[in-house]
Amino acid sequence: MNLEKVKSDIEAAVPGCRLQIVVNGSPSGQHSLLLDREHAFAVAKFLRDDPELCLDYCSNVTGVDWPDTEGSGYLEVVYHLYSTVKKHGPLTVRMRTEDRKDAVNLPSFTPLWRSAEFQEREVFDLYGVVFDGHPDLRRILMWDGFEDHPMRKDYVDPDDYEYEPTAHDAVLKRALEHSNRDEKAGGCQ
Amino acid sequence: MHSVDLDIYRPIAILMIAAVGFAISPLAMAWLWSKKFSPRKPGPVKNATYECGLASQGDAWIQFRAEYYLYAIVFLIFDVEAIFLLPFAVAFSGLTLGAAIAMLVFILLLAEGLVWAWQKRVLVWV
Amino acid sequence: MDQKLKIELSQQGIFATTLEEVYNWGRKNSVWPLTFGLACCAIEMIATTMARYDLARFGAEVFRPSPRQADLMIVAGTVTKKMAPQVVRLYNQMPEPKYVIAMGACAISGGPFKQGYNVLKGIDRYIPVDVHIPGCPPRPEALIDAFMTLQKKIDAQHLTGDLRPRHLRADTSSEFVVPQYGAHDLEPAKNPKLWNITLKATPTEPRAGENEPGKS
Repeated sequence: MNLEKVKSDIEAAVPGCRLQIVVNGSPSGQHSLLLDREHAFAVAKFLRDDPELCLDYCSNVTGVDWPDTEGSGYLEVVYHLYSTVKKHGPLTVRMRTEDRKDAVNLPSFTPLWRSAEFQEREVFDLYGVVFDGHPDLRRILMWDGFEDHPMRKDYVDPDDYEYEPTAHDAVLKRALEHSNRDEKAGGCQ
Repeated sequence: MHSVDLDIYRPIAILMIAAVGFAISPLAMAWLWSKKFSPRKPGPVKNATYECGLASQGDAWIQFRAEYYLYAIVFLIFDVEAIFLLPFAVAFSGLTLGAAIAMLVFILLLAEGLVWAWQKRVLVWV
Repeated sequence: MDQKLKIELSQQGIFATTLEEVYNWGRKNSVWPLTFGLACCAIEMIATTMARYDLARFGAEVFRPSPRQADLMIVAGTVTKKMAPQVVRLYNQMPEPKYVIAMGACAISGGPFKQGYNVLKGIDRYIPVDVHIPGCPPRPEALIDAFMTLQKKIDAQHLTGDLRPRHLRADTSSEFVVPQYGAHDLEPAKNPKLWNITLKATPTEPRAGENEPGKS
């Protein structure tokens, strides 16, 4: 599957869409296609229904947090699409939110690929991406009423440190902070 | 009444007493044991109705979906009717005409239900 | 009863025992576990009950599907924070005397997921654990060993006196605090009556040159 050709096919089928090839420099060379938010659903529908591509299977939905990129950063969602009929894939498709705070809406692909339902819920739960058009967008791993999104890179977990036998790096730093604070507080033995 | 007549029931009376004692004595021992050694400790979670670990929420008095009448009808046809068919078959030759007609009406009503369920494709295993 | 006298009597063909011994002997040989698995350790637990390892030899083949009929809870696997209230609630619903085996690294400390966002750092923060088994997952032999340890523990329990266990005391509750889901963590994060250990082993700073890339 030639990504350049796929790109030009999409541009011919969905007028006005802005696509961008994200180059993967690693030896695997799995380049991906960045979709714009406005036309993403139409593009995805084309990818599924086009007789030549026929990408009928969405195997994986995942989230990526980019806190330091482009100003306030953004959240990214990555879809891996395969074709069970044409036996080709994966086509990697990405979408980016506007920022990480309020404009975190992306179109949901669940109406196109049912397999995306739980994985989009997981991305919503762990990264806080709000999928418009998702039939049942609730938390899936954490409990209802949990306030954070634990897979974001600036997530601060509850200060609940105790004996850490193999502490290193960030855990060591926080464990030391915690024990220092305990000492200052008089030490609750 | 002769006393000899009562004498023959004595072994049964003894057996009755032994059987009741055999059943009650472990319960009594357990009761005494708990009085003496291990106290009862009920609590709100322990006394909860459900034992699946989740806290129960909402009300159990909800409206059932009307579709469940299908199960009721199929249950009547295959279970209740079968139960009545057996005594009907056993007593068939000795029945009066009225009883036989009453039974046939009953069977016809349920057979109609079976035809109806068949037509509604209730019996098709998806 | 004096052990010497007892042995002496048994050599003469006289069997003597105490109520406490009979009570504990009966209990330790009919410990019924709760059918309850949380993660991969449960597979080892299942293997332990099957023909090859045969937990039935110790009187524990009857895995009860209801906490009301179980004596032993084998916490087999990772306890997530979302699951912890359910585990505590099941434990509370078990009748006394009840015992807990924490099986595997996750159940005793959080294991490889210890600093994870949704993993409890050991079930002994909420319920009293009698036997801990390390391992990831522990082999069936380890579970059998833990089970025999528990049997020894049951055998050594006193029926009367100040040292008698919790289930024989009227003043101690058999229920423990069920944690609630909070905005960031479980509330409370631990039961201070059970878990008040402040292990102040200050983590050692890595020595210069060690564990740093580019230096060997």
